[in-house]
Amino acid sequence: MIRFEKVTKSYPGHPHPALDNISVDVEKGEFVFLVGSSGSGKSTFLRLVLREYRPSQGRVYVAGKEINRLAGWKVPRLRRDIGTVFQDFRLLPNKTVTENVAFALQVIGKSRKEIKDVVPETLELVGLSGKGDRMPDELSGGEQQRVAVARAFVNRPMILIADEPTGNLDPTTSVGIMKLLDRINRTGTTVVMATHDSSIVDQMRKRVIELENGHVVRDQAQGVYGHQN
Amino acid sequence: MQLRYVFSELGQGLRRNLSMHLAVVLTLFVSLTLVGVGVLFNQQAARAAEHWGNQLQITVYLCRANDSAAVCPNAVTDAQKTEISQVVDDNPEVADFHFESSEQALDKARELYGDELFSGDNPAITAADMPQTIWITLDDPQQYQGITSAVQGLDGVSKVRDMREQVAPILDSINMLQWVALGTAAFLVFAALLLVANTIRLAAFARRKEIGIMRLVGASTLYIALPFLLEALVTALIGVALAGAALWGFMYFGIDELSQNRLKFVPWIGWDEFWLAAGTVAILGPLLTLLPTLVLTRKYLKV
Repeated sequence: MIRFEKVTKSYPGHPHPALDNISVDVEKGEFVFLVGSSGSGKSTFLRLVLREYRPSQGRVYVAGKEINRLAGWKVPRLRRDIGTVFQDFRLLPNKTVTENVAFALQVIGKSRKEIKDVVPETLELVGLSGKGDRMPDELSGGEQQRVAVARAFVNRPMILIADEPTGNLDPTTSVGIMKLLDRINRTGTTVVMATHDSSIVDQMRKRVIELENGHVVRDQAQGVYGHQN
Repeated sequence: MQLRYVFSELGQGLRRNLSMHLAVVLTLFVSLTLVGVGVLFNQQAARAAEHWGNQLQITVYLCRANDSAAVCPNAVTDAQKTEISQVVDDNPEVADFHFESSEQALDKARELYGDELFSGDNPAITAADMPQTIWITLDDPQQYQGITSAVQGLDGVSKVRDMREQVAPILDSINMLQWVALGTAAFLVFAALLLVANTIRLAAFARRKEIGIMRLVGASTLYIALPFLLEALVTALIGVALAGAALWGFMYFGIDELSQNRLKFVPWIGWDEFWLAAGTVAILGPLLTLLPTLVLTRKYLKV
């Protein structure tokens, strides 16, 4: 589903590449934690998947497409196969929960009927049924992140990317979000989650890829956050 | 594609940036009006030049019967005409020439001053009052002294008039007005372009959250840019409409009034020329807003 082949990404003006010759393969339906300190290359990894950047060297394949060669006008198509969740939720403050989720479908041209069917279904999946008419500022942080997850998942993408989704949440709420991501993963969606949250990684026992200074220093099935023995 | 969303975004965008849009509309209005006025002056100059003869032409007036000029004891004879045309034909500076009969001159005058002077049982002016003329086009308009002195003094020539001396001041002032209008318009067009660019930057900034999410969820570039393009189009159309109305007023209260009541001797432009000016404005207006929008949305809204 996601394949990095000897990928290097350097930014102009930086002596060391953000990612240095890394090769990673993520299968369809996998749940992968991307761990490492700030500046280790996690965000660059995610941005390459989203084709916000192109690799400086090497090849990146996402959902069967080689993104190096993907023409600019085809990028929107690629992103419709990828849902994205951020630490800071990124909801539209002047839209209700329903409208926020519907927005993601409206702007890719889905019919009103389809939106009407799918949005409440997705809100129910994330545990927000009955709160569709609330504004984002009337919700708790955990609920806001659920809206963001609903928005990312409403188009049933093949891949869900989560960049520190629990970074702004307390541990109890975080567990709820992780259960939600796990449930989404069980529907067959590949989930890649960058995180600093060691307790979550330790609890979930999923595959862990650790980055350090742009290198993969660990790639472990059913790993934990800290160093292995 | 959900047009409802696009139009609600359009309405919101127009309201959110009202003062900027107003500035764009007003600048477009004034600059487009000036462009239109420049086109009208240009047409006016062309029409005047065409009517009064090419600016390079020299007119040789031949003697009439009862000519007031001292050099004309009698009306010009056919032999004299042949002699004169021979001299003109032989002159190396002459590109072309043709005779104009008294009747042709009368028709021209009738066209210019209206029928009433020329009709009725005892018309004020008849063909006999109009001199026959030879219209000479020169190869090089600067070299008119040669032909003038060659023809002047021949029997049957009443006077030689260099057209440019008569018409030049009027044409010059029309030309000057044209360039003043177009020159001022150029500055305002530049200002309009800058305003459009700033408006888009503000709008892109105001919408940055929406745009960020649209990009993430895979909205097409056109879809993201569409509200911006529509905003640009709406402001352009309002500017064009205002400029068209101003030009119409200029024609209706200015040119029409002048041409019907005063300054009748000038061949004034009519509504055909108005439509040309209005058409120019109608094409230029949307271009002025849509082109910078297309360029800048590519820059600001890049996926």
